[in-house]
Amino acid sequence: MGSMKRISKELAELMETPPTGISIQLADESDVYKWKVSMKGPEGTPYQGGTFHVNLTLPNEYPFKPPTVSFATKIYHPNVSNDDKGSMCLGMLKSDEWKPSSRIAAVLEFARQLLVEPMPDDAVEGRIAEQYSNDRKRFEEVARDWTRRYAREEK
Amino acid sequence: MSTTTMVSESQTPPNRAGRLRRLSQLRAYTQSHLIPSSSSSSSTATSPPSAANQRRNRNSLSRVVSLSSPFHISTPTDSIQPLAASASSLSPEREAHHTDNSASSDSDPREQSASSASSRSLPSSHEGSAQAADSGLQTMALDNCAPQDSSAPATTTDASIINDSNNSSAANKKPKMNNTIRFFAYQDTHHSSRPSLQFSPMTRTLPSEDCVIRVGRYSERDGVPIANPTEPSDAPIGFKSKVVSRKHCEFSMVNGQWHIKDVGSSSGTFLNRTRLSQPNMVSRLYAVRDGDIVQLGIDFRGGEEMIFRCVRIRIECNRTWQQRPNEFNKNTESLINNLGKGKAASNFEGCRECSICLGSVLRPYQCLFMAACAHVWHYKCIRRLIHTPDYPMFQCPNCRAWTDLSAEVDDSMEFDEESAKEDGDATDTKADATNDANADATGEQSQAAVQANGENATNDRELAAIAENLHLGEERNTPTQDAENPDGANITTKGPVSGNSQSANIPIPNGSSSHGNQSNSRSDTPANHEAFEDDPMTPRNDSGPLALDGRAGHL
Repeated sequence: MGSMKRISKELAELMETPPTGISIQLADESDVYKWKVSMKGPEGTPYQGGTFHVNLTLPNEYPFKPPTVSFATKIYHPNVSNDDKGSMCLGMLKSDEWKPSSRIAAVLEFARQLLVEPMPDDAVEGRIAEQYSNDRKRFEEVARDWTRRYAREEK
Repeated sequence: MSTTTMVSESQTPPNRAGRLRRLSQLRAYTQSHLIPSSSSSSSTATSPPSAANQRRNRNSLSRVVSLSSPFHISTPTDSIQPLAASASSLSPEREAHHTDNSASSDSDPREQSASSASSRSLPSSHEGSAQAADSGLQTMALDNCAPQDSSAPATTTDASIINDSNNSSAANKKPKMNNTIRFFAYQDTHHSSRPSLQFSPMTRTLPSEDCVIRVGRYSERDGVPIANPTEPSDAPIGFKSKVVSRKHCEFSMVNGQWHIKDVGSSSGTFLNRTRLSQPNMVSRLYAVRDGDIVQLGIDFRGGEEMIFRCVRIRIECNRTWQQRPNEFNKNTESLINNLGKGKAASNFEGCRECSICLGSVLRPYQCLFMAACAHVWHYKCIRRLIHTPDYPMFQCPNCRAWTDLSAEVDDSMEFDEESAKEDGDATDTKADATNDANADATGEQSQAAVQANGENATNDRELAAIAENLHLGEERNTPTQDAENPDGANITTKGPVSGNSQSANIPIPNGSSSHGNQSNSRSDTPANHEAFEDDPMTPRNDSGPLALDGRAGHL
């Protein structure tokens, strides 16, 4: 597969110099198309202190088709669906906005930046987005509570 | 002073004398009420417009009429009474303001907004403070925030204009090259199963910011428009679709930003899937940015026939800087020139990596593809983005610039350094000719050098000396045949040769006895990789083949 070479290259780079607060490993050593990403909640956000597990799946046509990002850990966020899929709505991951020159490192950094600054205008969960815009204090309380319940690091 | 008058389309004056009388009334009125006494003395009478001019301008859109004062009138002149009435209804203070302080910049914006509302931009003939006032008012009119004065003169869009002044400011302005807009056919695969109208890409460069690009239905009467004029042009753009109105929309440049306006189309103009105005209503100006999608009309009768399909356009604006010398494409040029010459990769910062496989494009023996924007990829990596349903349109995956791969090679936009570079190339060629054929030039360069040597060697002794160092390849010849050597005899160097040597064709006098035996002994160049290693006679090209887009040839 032509994409294998590129994926291996990106994986090696990310293993060597991972982005801040992110660690990467393969879900299955024999399959480079499925990655397990651990993302630490950024400082100064309601997600601080939590570790969020993210599944990153690369299509066979990568880099011509965008990867899909889904949160395995439940998270209270306007841009992450509040269901068992936990799919994330990222502007750069939409098929008409994705560019083959984009890299997985940029995707992961963008996802982490979304934890710092959610985008209510491009929300998956309209109710949470509305709360984030109108009642920030309440939003942060619930997000902090969910982080404590679902994203607490196991000692 | 040059006076500009307007003749209504709906009715024409009964006779010439009546028209002249009304013109003189209008002139007398404007001189007494609107123009300061200092300037009125120097004004000259103007001749009435000819009937031919009147017919020619009948269907043109109205523009703001420029007088010597900062107050603009745009009124029909069929009857002088409405004008006199509306002007006399101004308050005394305002009348005094116009007669005495017309040169000052603080004229009341309400009268001016009424006149500027009918036009996109105000004339640039004013100077000094009046010009400053005009520019401020232009912004107000564009933002639709200027209050309308009921007493201000009425404006018409159907009226045509006859202008006696010959010194138009638009003609004197030099076009800025960033006033360029390109239209590409766009197929919305996500939202529409049926393709929109197909058309070839079109480019327009405004001669000046006052110009407007009119878009509408193609008409045989207008003649075949040039899709991509070489000179700056605001020629209208026509589409062969029944859902496009004759006058559908307009593109204009305001303060360095492209704008679109629906001019009362029946089936609508959509910018990024949002309709600009109600049917048959003129919209306000909307800013257009690079990559926006404009749709003209909606499919009629299900779009069964091509002529009933809507037009979807992808806009590309102000990208001409990419086709000029810049740091990036100069880097790419030197990258291409120095492939295989062992130059350090750091010299080509930013353009040494294929963004698809993340591999280097600096190594020789690779097929490369370079788009017009100077981004480079391995052909193997990029090919699936080239051969798409959009072909021959290619979108760069790095910068999203669109390129027409079927476009003619354009030599009109040569780089400024071209002449200087040619001088340098001439000296390089001379140096190559004197150097040995094993220098790190490409096969073609060394071939040219050896041929030059062969032509210069005129006496038999020199030919004999060359022949001592050469042998005729009797077992195998390279596939290339020289025009001067029709029998296919190829001459290659004898003895151990370094891996990067090239074979070259040497012109041999026709008296050579071995020519006849060579014609049937050719065999194909071996495809086996091991044969390449064993046989140093196989020609090499250190640069590697390049698949280049036509316009990239300027780099």
